[in-house]
Amino acid sequence: MRRACGMAVSLLALCASRMALARDDWTFDKTVAASARGVVDISNVAGSIEVSGWDRQEVSVHAVLGGEVERVDVSSEGGRTLVKVVLPSHTRGHGEAELHVQVPRESEVDVSAVSADIRLSGVLGVERLNAVSGDVTAELGNADVEAKTVSGELRLKGHGSAARLHISSVSGDVRLEHGAGDFEGSTVSGTLGVTLDSAGSIRARSTSGDVRLEAKLARGATVEATSVSGDVNVRASAEDGFSYEASSFSGDISDCFDVKAERAGQYMPGSRLQGTRGAGAGHVRIKTMSGDVQLCDRN
Amino acid sequence: MTGPYDGTGRKVDSLAELARSIEPERDLWPTIEASLGRVEAAAPAASDANLIPPRRRRARLTWLAAAAMLASVAVGVWIGRSVLPDVGVPAGVGAATDATTFDAAYVNDPRYQRERAALLRSLPARLEALPPPARAKVLASLATIRKAKQDLESALGKDPGNALLQELLVDTYQDEMRALTDVREASDAGRGV
Repeated sequence: MRRACGMAVSLLALCASRMALARDDWTFDKTVAASARGVVDISNVAGSIEVSGWDRQEVSVHAVLGGEVERVDVSSEGGRTLVKVVLPSHTRGHGEAELHVQVPRESEVDVSAVSADIRLSGVLGVERLNAVSGDVTAELGNADVEAKTVSGELRLKGHGSAARLHISSVSGDVRLEHGAGDFEGSTVSGTLGVTLDSAGSIRARSTSGDVRLEAKLARGATVEATSVSGDVNVRASAEDGFSYEASSFSGDISDCFDVKAERAGQYMPGSRLQGTRGAGAGHVRIKTMSGDVQLCDRN
Repeated sequence: MTGPYDGTGRKVDSLAELARSIEPERDLWPTIEASLGRVEAAAPAASDANLIPPRRRRARLTWLAAAAMLASVAVGVWIGRSVLPDVGVPAGVGAATDATTFDAAYVNDPRYQRERAALLRSLPARLEALPPPARAKVLASLATIRKAKQDLESALGKDPGNALLQELLVDTYQDEMRALTDVREASDAGRGV
């Protein structure tokens, strides 16, 4: 009996010590001086990353950290500011941190996450956003954007400022509103939904996901949209018109200007639609294997 | 009108009176030999081929064709084996990334094959580094790519010259490389963060 009691007390003591080791959530705050147009590099494994631009030449970090987070490194040197949530090596990436970072408005930001969601707003410089399974929600500035996820969703909103937009996901959905400039986007199985206020060139590609493009084309713009089994819907308006060619091996092709698709050949499967709208200054090319194609010359 | 004369200027009345052969004033062979030497130096292979009798040339071509065929088969087998790692691949990965029948025929660039093989070898470890929900989605996407390749190849089997299908198949190979590269970069980011 005495032996059993001893064992129970030891067990309780062990549990108590383990609980004492696992810290409660804690907070972290730090502000460092930064260049007005410097680079801010932010990384966090799990939780969330919220980045916003402000008018000060400082980077301010406020973080709510899970007990398993070891520390947050914040340093600034030579125009580059680094914000990094560090986990102990044994945690295998389970420590969560909610990171709120304010950066000079014209900074170039480079954000990396594994399962953490990324939210970005009010930044005008180049944006490079990478997540594995986290979702990315960003307001586009005036500069180029490169956003990439493996399985997370990408939701981007611009203000019609021309830039190079390079967006890709393996299985996540991609949604871009009010973009402008040159767009290149791809997904394997996600849906690609893009609206561009003014486009110079568009390349959109999916393997099985649907592609929906709505764009006002600049003079001489080029559009190329392809999918293997996803449907492709392109609504493109252009003052100077565009020539178009759409082809599908087994999908249906339709348009909003009453031109009928033809068979690819007398003894060949597939159908094809080609012609010119207006002066034909731009060029639209669509191709699918089994996905349906819809083309319209007005938004 | 001038009459028939022989080489010495003597008038002849019949063919029999003509000389059987006429020797040149000097030995022409050194000049001919030098000319032949120049031509051979410019195109040795061509002159060699011309020296081979047609029958031997045909036999040689047959052997060359057979050797080329054997080399193609060997390259195909090598690609099949090197691209499909048979050790340590977790369930689902092999099925999602197996090389398909058209792989060797369509994508025979050695650099592409090397890079793809390396990415596939490291894929199981890379997937392990991803959060489980992301891992499942990536496997599903790789399976989607594989299905797309199979569908395209099946359609190409019925219509081998279809440019649209060929283009889409090449696009799909590129998508597969992009997905594999993204997974590699994602797992590297996970380690680095």
